[in-house]
Amino acid sequence: MNQRSWVAICFAMALLVAAPLGAQSVADSILEARTTAVAAELRCPVCQGLSIQDSPSELSQEMRGMVRDQLRAGKTPAEVKAFFVSKYGEWILLTPTAQGFNLLLYILPFVLLLAGAVVIIVVVRRWTHTAEPVSLPPTDSP
Amino acid sequence: MTGLLAHDALLVSFVVIFFGLIAVPVAVRTGRRDWMMLAYSAVYTNFLLVTVAVGSMLYALVTHDFSVSYVAQVGSRATPLFYTVISLWGALEGSILFWAWVLGIYAAASVWVNRRREGNLIPYAVVVLLLISLFFAILLVGPADPFKAVFPVLPDGPGPNPLLQNHILMAVHPPLLYLGYVGYSVPFAFAIGGVLSRDIERDDWIRLARRWTLIAWAFHSAAIIAGMWWSYEVLGWGGYWAWDPVENASFMPWLVATAFLHSVIVQERRGMLRLWNLNLIVGTFVLTILGTFLTRSGIISSVHAFTTGTIGYYFLAFIAVVLFGSLMVVAGNSDRLRTTGRYDAVASRETVFLLNNLFLTAFMFTVLIGTLFPLAAEAARGVKVSVGVPFFNRMTLPMIVSLLFLMGVGPALPWKSSTRAEIKDKLLVPAIGAFVLLVVALAAGMRSVYGSLAFAFVGYAAMANLREYWIGMRARRAAHGEGWGTALVRLINGNRRRYGGYVAHLGIFLVALGIAGSQSFRTEREATLKPGETMILDGRTIKLKELWGRQEPQRAVIGATFDITINGKSRGTAEPRMNFYPTSQTPIPTPDVKSSILGDLYFNLQSIREDGSAATIKVIHEPLVPWIWFGGLVVVCGALIAMFPGGRVRETLTADLPR
Repeated sequence: MNQRSWVAICFAMALLVAAPLGAQSVADSILEARTTAVAAELRCPVCQGLSIQDSPSELSQEMRGMVRDQLRAGKTPAEVKAFFVSKYGEWILLTPTAQGFNLLLYILPFVLLLAGAVVIIVVVRRWTHTAEPVSLPPTDSP
Repeated sequence: MTGLLAHDALLVSFVVIFFGLIAVPVAVRTGRRDWMMLAYSAVYTNFLLVTVAVGSMLYALVTHDFSVSYVAQVGSRATPLFYTVISLWGALEGSILFWAWVLGIYAAASVWVNRRREGNLIPYAVVVLLLISLFFAILLVGPADPFKAVFPVLPDGPGPNPLLQNHILMAVHPPLLYLGYVGYSVPFAFAIGGVLSRDIERDDWIRLARRWTLIAWAFHSAAIIAGMWWSYEVLGWGGYWAWDPVENASFMPWLVATAFLHSVIVQERRGMLRLWNLNLIVGTFVLTILGTFLTRSGIISSVHAFTTGTIGYYFLAFIAVVLFGSLMVVAGNSDRLRTTGRYDAVASRETVFLLNNLFLTAFMFTVLIGTLFPLAAEAARGVKVSVGVPFFNRMTLPMIVSLLFLMGVGPALPWKSSTRAEIKDKLLVPAIGAFVLLVVALAAGMRSVYGSLAFAFVGYAAMANLREYWIGMRARRAAHGEGWGTALVRLINGNRRRYGGYVAHLGIFLVALGIAGSQSFRTEREATLKPGETMILDGRTIKLKELWGRQEPQRAVIGATFDITINGKSRGTAEPRMNFYPTSQTPIPTPDVKSSILGDLYFNLQSIREDGSAATIKVIHEPLVPWIWFGGLVVVCGALIAMFPGGRVRETLTADLPR
């Protein structure tokens, strides 16, 4: 590395340290992070299964702008989402709200996982307790 | 003309299939070899007839014969020859034809290779293969007939779906996917054939089923990675996996097939899990048909979904027949599928395989539930809901990191039982790998819990797998005085299945690092620039040099040229474009990706001001993405190593050669 690139790195580091001093940019980056978090949970109405955060479509860009504006105006993320639900219906949320019938979606996978685990425990117990003589294949492939 | 020829070929194939279906029971009952040969010939002839149909379709496509319905639907004189040829699988009817052809290849190849095998396994497998072929033959003369006569004949057609003619990976991903998907028909046929032939105790079918599953699985793995790559290169959002229903449909059978490839080892080594393995094979096959149903019936909307039609009912009926038939066969023979082996201790490799199967099947069910839930919600509540990326990530990440961890435990633990000292040594030493990668990740700025866990467990498992190589090579060096290179080659050759499996594991680790890295360290910026203006992302200065446009025969192209500089040094240019096809209202994005070993710089042209004075561009810095593609290649290499038979025999042969 030559001297010039060191100077450039020092300069960049200085910028990194100095940047947060501007309170405006801190607020901006926080707002941007919150916007991203909400936008990732909202479905792009004209795409297939992409969030408005990921989608390159113009509508998604507009919707991201709306999310940013509403958050800046002091709405909570839940309120912003509720606004979009009232406009588009529950369909706009990429994760269904965990209540009522939707709970099935969250519980069923874990019920199955637990049931499988129980089956394994029962079966392994039974197998380890049967002490019949066994003839094992002599090979020692995998 | 070509349409008539193809129709005739397909109709003759009906006769041939029926003939084969009659020949098998006669051959089995009388034990006559000539009837058996007749049944086998039916399989080969069916393949030839479907080949005639596929050849006719290619001819019709290339000669722009718009009197054939499929050509009228996807052909156009302006489409380049290459994309005309690959539009064979670009829409519903063509894809079913292609499917039937791949099935013909698999059926003919699997029967030919095993034609001299004694016993009734192959004849019964022939019945199953012919029945599956019959289903596709029915589709091809019924709801998915690609050779319908069109009148009046138009002079030109609309051309293929723009998304499918925009990138070369469309020539790679679908054939790989069919070779994978359709390939699972063969192990399914061997499994059902094995049970019906009543030599199930010999476990003969399991060896055949494993070999053919591995072949299909290698193609299928490559197809999933190629599909991710296509999505990344074409869709313009900088991602490669969206938990889209079609992606899920292709992923579910892969999970179950992967579970089978592991649990089959337990059956071969310890005589356990016979019934379970049979279920996994049937499950894999049913999931391929279910996936096809979901994507072909239009019941679930998706980027890749094909047009709707009555074809969905046919698939539903076929799934019902397959499930019911398999259930009858398996249930009727469950007493002969009992475990003969014995479980010695909980702290053994067997247990890890069981946990592997538990997590892989739970993973599959989670994806299945998430994919089907919108249908259930609409039926139960009358409300449309979406189940998307945030849900799937939240639910599956715990299972994914658990599986990564198990990949380190499994290869390290011995079979049957292990001593306390063994466990200590085998399971503690790889923790060094976990520590190293975790520190690297945290130093690089990792803040997500699952990202950190993924790095740590990959470090753990990679060290455990590499250590198996190291231990084996060291032993060979001590015993035979071989060099490191020779020791490595002979070690792998001596037990290809095992060490091929570890190579596949290493590939999965690379894929996991690529995904964890790109998800955690991704930074992006969007800006509207005029020519000459710049933006900065992660220390890279990106300058819009110019905006340009040009007319191509089948489309109009608008592009932007960017200069990339880092610290004042030029790092090349990027040219993202937007392609406008006459059949598509919205432009098809054509991002430009600048790759290096540490990651990608992804350029997507979002929009362009109407007067052409400025463009909105999204630039995404995605670390480690190329590792996903490379890791996929390593997985396939591992499968290839594990696929080839031999091993021990080869080893003794080469050992005797003069050095």
